[in-house]
Amino acid sequence: MPKSLKSIQDFFNKPKGAAYLFILPAVLTLLVFVIVPLVYAVVISFQNLTIFLAPPKLVGLANFTRLLQDDRFWNALKNTFYFLLEVPIQVIMGLLVAVFLSKNTVFRKFARTVFFIPTICSLTAIGIVWSFLLDAQIGILPYYLTQIGLPQMQFLSDPNLAMPTIILTTVWKNFGLTMMILIGGIQSVPITYYEASEIDGASPITQFFRITLPLLVPSLGFCIITNTIGSLQVFDQIYVMTQGGPLHSTETLVMYIYNVGFSTQPFDLSYASAIAVILFILIIVISLLTNNYLTRRETVDISEG
Amino acid sequence: MAKKITAGQTFVLISMGLLFIIVLFPFLWLILSTFKVDADIVKYPPTLFGLQYTISSYIKVWDSIPLLDFLKNTVIFAGSVTIISVLFDSMAGYAFARFSFKGKKIIFTFVLITMMIPFQVLMIPLFIEVFKLGILNTYSGLILPRMADAFGIFLMRSAFVSLPKELEEAARVDGYNEFQIFFKIMLPLSKPAIITLGIINLMGNWNDLLYPLMLTSSTKMRTISAGLALFVGQRTLEYGPTLAAALIALIPLIIVYIFAQKYFIQGIATTGLKS
Repeated sequence: MPKSLKSIQDFFNKPKGAAYLFILPAVLTLLVFVIVPLVYAVVISFQNLTIFLAPPKLVGLANFTRLLQDDRFWNALKNTFYFLLEVPIQVIMGLLVAVFLSKNTVFRKFARTVFFIPTICSLTAIGIVWSFLLDAQIGILPYYLTQIGLPQMQFLSDPNLAMPTIILTTVWKNFGLTMMILIGGIQSVPITYYEASEIDGASPITQFFRITLPLLVPSLGFCIITNTIGSLQVFDQIYVMTQGGPLHSTETLVMYIYNVGFSTQPFDLSYASAIAVILFILIIVISLLTNNYLTRRETVDISEG
Repeated sequence: MAKKITAGQTFVLISMGLLFIIVLFPFLWLILSTFKVDADIVKYPPTLFGLQYTISSYIKVWDSIPLLDFLKNTVIFAGSVTIISVLFDSMAGYAFARFSFKGKKIIFTFVLITMMIPFQVLMIPLFIEVFKLGILNTYSGLILPRMADAFGIFLMRSAFVSLPKELEEAARVDGYNEFQIFFKIMLPLSKPAIITLGIINLMGNWNDLLYPLMLTSSTKMRTISAGLALFVGQRTLEYGPTLAAALIALIPLIIVYIFAQKYFIQGIATTGLKS
């Protein structure tokens, strides 16, 4: 017995054996809490399970055919794509700011530090602050706007304004991140390119379109893809600021999943899962369409170490 | 020509100044408002500055919501997840970077695939799984599912790949076993990556809303994000204390940011977007 124990010990003290011990905790975690739920998600979407967890029955494709006739689902899908408008706005803004702030002067570094602050803040806390600032009755921003001659705006309670408002507050929160990534990209452009073009008499604007922008394409692609995938999953700011309202005008897919499964009767987990499966397919399709960029980025990361 | 450039520079300066105000205004308003009386917060027309200032919001907030519980839960949840996941991710990343073993390629591919799966797809089955394990609404239920993540393994693997091969060979000659090599030599050498990953995980979990919202059910177990969101949703709370609680939720990460800016920026630039 002690002999076999010894041989086990020897096995794990060799690199080959030790490797399995090293990966065990992480792989086990991913197996139990990612792979098992993933498979289970698909199973649930073919059942009729509610939050009370009574023994479910298989209902085949019923949840998915129900989706096709569910106006609220189509509305949520439409709103999810509507929210994607956030991506170009944020990337263009991040790009402009990155170009202005890419040089390492004290002032520019300070500005970058400040613009990055919203990125680290919790969307819950930030959402609370914006709901106050934009409130139709007591909000200071609608009041300021009336002072410059605009009508009193109901940013979060007007169905036509709620989504644009959520989009703009999200841009406010996230553009600093895009800015940082793009500054990294701009700073890795060899300075000699600019010097050479200056000798040729290129203006800063020509330099931007002829040198900076083409060389930034990989970083820009990365920002656009990660942002798009993140935007398809938007939840926090909507949950805090509008809960999907008014009149479901800000109810995105994730918000709808949450409402169906956890906040309204009959807490239909199976139907919510079916929506989640659709969302998953959507994300996978978008990821695959842009797969080229992602794999390129990954190989860069590995080689840079 | 010279005049044109100055005009351009003026434009840049003005727009950066405006942006500066737009970014900082909500924070300024928040800080000022936490010291206002409620009458000043809700009065019309609204003003940035109040007529009188008080610290009563900061006193009331502890009685009106279980903020201390929220903070305690957040520290336990985000802290444990950060420490455990950094350890497990480092171990796995190390094995994928430095060892060759049977099935390595398949297992690593499997890890990378889990990176593509959004949380929203997993949340309902995860909720049921955690419930069936009997750990819903407990610290274990919050911590266990987040003990490792593919992104961290990936990041740590990149860090360990770049270390020189001679290191462990020399250590083996000196009679170190594999675990001593990892903990005494490799781990200390990859400190920057560890801090970066730690900050990413701390920030992600501290700010996370949907995950703790789903996996906790009693007020006493809520994290700060989940607790705040629910109390604001019910609209029973006074304004001053709500804002004070929001500011209290923001302060810890802002302090970490001030001291560890370099790692924040590195980390975020490498993740792109985690949320």
